[in-house]
Amino acid sequence: MMEYLKYIGQGLIVFGSLFLFLGALGIFRMPDFYNRLQAGTKASTLGAMSLILGVGFIQPEWMIKSLIIVVFIAVANPLSSHALGRSAYKNNLKPFMKKKMDAYEKVAEILPKEEDRL
Amino acid sequence: MKKFFVIALLAILGFYLTIAFLQIPFGQNRLGQPQDEATVGAYYLNNTKEKSAVSNVVTAIVVNYRGFDTLGEVTVLFLASTGLASILYRRKEEEVERINKPSSSLLQTGSKFLFPLVVLLGIYVFIHGHLTPGGGFQGGAIIATGFLLMLIAYQKYHVSHSMLTWVESLAGVLFVSIGLWGLITGGTFLENSYFPKGVLNSLISGGAIPIIYIAVGFKVAAELTGVLDILLNTKEEKSVPSNQNEK
Repeated sequence: MMEYLKYIGQGLIVFGSLFLFLGALGIFRMPDFYNRLQAGTKASTLGAMSLILGVGFIQPEWMIKSLIIVVFIAVANPLSSHALGRSAYKNNLKPFMKKKMDAYEKVAEILPKEEDRL
Repeated sequence: MKKFFVIALLAILGFYLTIAFLQIPFGQNRLGQPQDEATVGAYYLNNTKEKSAVSNVVTAIVVNYRGFDTLGEVTVLFLASTGLASILYRRKEEEVERINKPSSSLLQTGSKFLFPLVVLLGIYVFIHGHLTPGGGFQGGAIIATGFLLMLIAYQKYHVSHSMLTWVESLAGVLFVSIGLWGLITGGTFLENSYFPKGVLNSLISGGAIPIIYIAVGFKVAAELTGVLDILLNTKEEKSVPSNQNEK
C-alpha cells in the first residue's frame, strides 16, 4: 500500500514539474502581457497543485497540510492573475492582437459601475 | 574648550575599546567547528539542547542568548510605527480616503476566503518558531500581508487602531515581564532555565522561548498592520466652492 502511494506521489511530482516547466516556457515565449499571464497562471496552478499533492502522497502525515495548501493555491493563483490582468486592462495596456477581439469592452457596458458597488 | 572635551572623551573611549579588542586574538577562527569547545558557535551548538530544550538553535540565539537585542529590535519597529502614526494618522474617518481604486467583486469574495488561511499560516509560523525556520517577525509579517489583502480588496475595511495598540502593548508588556521574571528568579534578564522546559522537539518545549516568540509575533503583526493601514489612507482634498470666496 505504502509503495503504491509512493509511486503515485512520484508520478504527480514529475507531472507537476513538467507543467511548471511548460508555464516557464510560456512566459518566455508568448508575445504580450495577457498571453504570458494566462500561460503562467494556468500551467503553474496545475503544476504546483499536483507537485504539493505528490509530496502529500509520499509523506502521508503531511496530507492534511498539503491539501490546505492545494486549496489555497487553487483560489489564490487565479485570483492574483485576475487582479493583474484587470488592472493592466484598466490602465490601457493594449493586447497583442491579430484580429480585433475585445470581449470585455462589450461586457463592461452591461456590468454595473464599480464606483456604485465598492 | 568644548572641542578639547570632545577629543578627550573620544580618546578615553578609544583607549578602552582598544584594550577590549586587543584581548581577542586577531585572525583566529572564532566561529569554529562544533568539535572545538573553545569557540562561540560550538558553545551554542553543544549547549542549546540541554540548557533550553529548543531544537532550532537560531531561535535560541535570537530569543534567549540575545533576547535583549531582540527587545531592542521590537522597540525600533514600535518607534517607527509610532512616528509614522503621529505624522499621518487621522482620527476622523470622514476625512480619510483610500489610495486604492475599487476592486472587482471576484477579488473581494476571494480575499474573504483567503484571509483566514493567510492568518492561519502566520500563526503557524510563529507558534512553531522554536521547531522550524521562521518565528515571530516572519509570522507577524505574514499576518500583516493578510490584512493588506483585505485593505486592498475593500475600500471600507478599517482596522481598529485602539485594538491594535492594545494588542501591541500587551505583547510588549508580556515580553518585558518574562524578562523581568528571569531577572528576579535567575539573576539575569531573560533567564530561561527557571521555566519548565518540556520535551525536546515537541510543541511545548523551550521554556519561555515560544511564549516570547508568540508575543513578538502579535506585536510585529499589530505594528505592521497599523503602518499599512495608515499608509493606504490619504486626506481628502476639500473642494472649496468658488462663489463663496468671491463674496
